[in-house]
Amino acid sequence: MISHLRYQTLETVLSINSISKRYGKIQAVSNLSLEVKRGQVFGILGPNGSGKTTTLSVILDLIKSNSGTYQWFGTSPSKESRKRIGSVIESPNFFPYLSPVINLKIVADIKDIGYEDIDRVLKLTGLYERRNTRFKTFSFGMKQRLAVASALLGNPDVLILDEPTNGLDPQGIAHIRELILLVAGQGTTIIIASHLLDEIQKICSHVAVLSKGVKLFDGKVSEVLAISDSYELSAKNNELLNRLIKTHPEFQSMVQLPDKIQVYFKGQIDPEELNQFFLSGGVTLTHLAERRRSLEQHFLELLDNNK
Amino acid sequence: MIKLLKIEFKKILTYRIFWILTGLYFIFLTLGLLMAEFMINKQVDSINSRSPIPFPHITIYFFPWIWQNITFFATIRYVLIFPAIVIIILITNEFTFKTIRQNVINGMSKAEFLSSKLLLILIISLIMTVLLTVGTLILGMSYTSELTLAMITDKAAFMVGFFITMLTLQIYALFFGFIFRNTGLAIALFTLYLFIAEPILYYFLKSPIVFENNISPYLPLNAVLRLTEYPSIPLLKNLMGITLQDSVSWVACLIPSGYAAIMIGIVYWVLVKRDL
Repeated sequence: MISHLRYQTLETVLSINSISKRYGKIQAVSNLSLEVKRGQVFGILGPNGSGKTTTLSVILDLIKSNSGTYQWFGTSPSKESRKRIGSVIESPNFFPYLSPVINLKIVADIKDIGYEDIDRVLKLTGLYERRNTRFKTFSFGMKQRLAVASALLGNPDVLILDEPTNGLDPQGIAHIRELILLVAGQGTTIIIASHLLDEIQKICSHVAVLSKGVKLFDGKVSEVLAISDSYELSAKNNELLNRLIKTHPEFQSMVQLPDKIQVYFKGQIDPEELNQFFLSGGVTLTHLAERRRSLEQHFLELLDNNK
Repeated sequence: MIKLLKIEFKKILTYRIFWILTGLYFIFLTLGLLMAEFMINKQVDSINSRSPIPFPHITIYFFPWIWQNITFFATIRYVLIFPAIVIIILITNEFTFKTIRQNVINGMSKAEFLSSKLLLILIISLIMTVLLTVGTLILGMSYTSELTLAMITDKAAFMVGFFITMLTLQIYALFFGFIFRNTGLAIALFTLYLFIAEPILYYFLKSPIVFENNISPYLPLNAVLRLTEYPSIPLLKNLMGITLQDSVSWVACLIPSGYAAIMIGIVYWVLVKRDL
């Protein structure tokens, strides 16, 4: 049983091999490679315009990439592989003059699944009471929920969500996140694109960080988005301090401030250990202050450092 | 195939605009027929006032001519615009609401998407042909005395002409919908072509200065409209010696069908080539 589970977790659901997409002069995605394995909740994190939606559109056969390939479930992409994927890309796309039930029946017809699951997903997303009212009478939050309902229809192997909580009120956001975690708990592979670090951190197990179409990092959320601390330091001999700090094994980067420096470390640093490090190097610190960064600040720095 | 039709029917079954426009087609057709008969008989009345021998009133619902008369009125520009607009709206809606994207995401191929629309056009054309045939039979039977089977079947082939007209015209509309993607733009350009651009082109090409051989009958829409031309009432023939079309030419059916096939090819190519 255990070996079976192990095998399952290793199975590759999606592999993207150096995909590039250019819109005129703008390089939307540049040489992007990714691998998503079964059971992962994979976040694609990046600011607006970083190529998240373009990447998702390519792997769903909506747009053609200029180069590169991708595979679903180890086979070359086809409409059959798309039937095993539930997706919400950008806005919820439904016929405004049709009821949610008819809209979902159309989805079920395309995916070759029965109508039995429609009531379940409508109840799950809290839309069951409104199942026969026209889609156009829905509020934005309800529309977004119907999109999630349609993605969940027929228990797909993979769920793709593009900015699933965009434009929702806090209650709506909480509801969608609960749903995602519920589905993830059932072992469904989930791919989420978001510009919200907080969202990725709360939901995802793995993450790839994109900026201007280039992948900066990928890996486990706990590793990629680990919050390292920063310290403000100054000494009488600032020149020696600057030289010495770069030899610290955890040193990541440094910013020169007017009368001190701000230093970022890769991991957690104990102030006492840091002080000891300088003392043994012959530098006496005149100032040592710990600075904690917010998640968003950390994200911006990640992006900044890779410009 | 059944699956694609099931999907298409779900998309139109509770869509009010579809039913309103289709209903308008039949309403305008009825009005056209009523007006035509009224106008012809007014003409007869005015002749009678000057003529010592009175002509009888004419009915256009007399077998076998009724087939041509009804199919002629059912395929004039002013009523044909309705089924064309219906198809344009049904296709551009898919782009406006991005449902074509969603259909592809959910596992439909672009070829299937195009096929589903073509199937819908085929079914709509068949249903309209059946409806018009039934209507014609009822009208014809109630207006024709001394009815024989031969009289009914004589010119019934005009219904095939009507079917080809519906089919190809809606494929032209589908072409506009897929190429322009925007409802307003596609309807405006289609209407412009139907009522203004092609008629101008028609008269331009007719002039022997432009081409030695008159190619104007081969223009896409003219080729369609020519399938079921002016009714050839025996009276007109006898009175004025005009000979008009009195049967559906099978060769003439090939021309609009050829255009439609080319348009389907272009639409498929563009659909595959362009991003959604």
